[in-house]
Amino acid sequence: MALFLRSLTRQGTCLSRSQFGVLYRHAVPMGTTAKEEMNKFWAKNNKLNRPMSPHVTVYKWSVPMMMSISHRGTGLGLSAGVSAFALLALVLPGSYPYYLDLIHSQSFGPALIGLAKFGIAFPLSYHTFNGIRHLCWDSGKGFKIPEVYGSGYTVIVLTVLTTIAAVAYKGAA
Amino acid sequence: STVLNSAVQVQCYCTCAVSCYLHLVRCSVTIKIALFHRSSLLLRPLGVQQKDQDRPYQLTARIHGSPSLYSGSGSKAASLHWTGERVVSVMLLALGPAAYYIPGPAIDYSLAAAITLHSHWGIGQVLTDYIHGESKIKVANACLFLLSTVTFAGLCYFNHNDVGICKAVALLWSK
Repeated sequence: MALFLRSLTRQGTCLSRSQFGVLYRHAVPMGTTAKEEMNKFWAKNNKLNRPMSPHVTVYKWSVPMMMSISHRGTGLGLSAGVSAFALLALVLPGSYPYYLDLIHSQSFGPALIGLAKFGIAFPLSYHTFNGIRHLCWDSGKGFKIPEVYGSGYTVIVLTVLTTIAAVAYKGAA
Repeated sequence: STVLNSAVQVQCYCTCAVSCYLHLVRCSVTIKIALFHRSSLLLRPLGVQQKDQDRPYQLTARIHGSPSLYSGSGSKAASLHWTGERVVSVMLLALGPAAYYIPGPAIDYSLAAAITLHSHWGIGQVLTDYIHGESKIKVANACLFLLSTVTFAGLCYFNHNDVGICKAVALLWSK
């Protein structure tokens, strides 16, 4: 019934567009949403116990592919770091400066601090620069293949330079 | 005529219909179509020429409209969510230099909020891509909500009871 009503209202909007001379009427309104369609796909294939076709194991990897999954990976890693930090803040009794000095005073302290700086700077700068690249795409720019590769390499170079600068930089307290 | 002010979000997905494991091309392309009364229609019909016919005919793309929550109008939820994600991303970009040049409680709490929200929505997309099945999706999103809440609480606690995010970064970089 809902399907019937929905197709009716869609037809209603369709017909009123005919003044533009676009054959919008030929568009067939579907009764399901994209989400429903996707769920149907997974339900059917899981029920039939079909194995997943090989994809990442057989397709030739490319720079854009690797950068895309790295964007996701760095995002997840950064989120995990932030959540871990927040949890520790709630759970640990001492203050941040106390723990920082505690680590720094250990024999392996400065190395650990350097590692922490790298661990923050590298994924953060990559995710930020690639994020800007994504925002450019969202505005419609930079989809030509040479542009995709060009912007990709730019992101990588900027990431490396920023990380080196960040790890080398030592500020005043 | 009836209301045509809603933005209809259209999703065309490639026939492989598998959610994107390959991050090379976005398999689902989201096209925002704004249907306004009397303004130009943004949808471009696909023009097809057939030599054995007298005149060309036009095919329109098979449109898969977003679900109507209310009769007659479409839901803008997905579209607004998309825009919200970009807005928060841009704000986060601005907060970077702000944290460097004007550190303080205002930036600390803004960072806590923006980072948590950006993370929450980002992980949400990952869950949507890889988790299938009604109940599994619900459980995963509930866990995510819990994680984000605890994260935000922890960051605010840190801002209030400890040195705050800006100062913490500055201290780490001073060692």
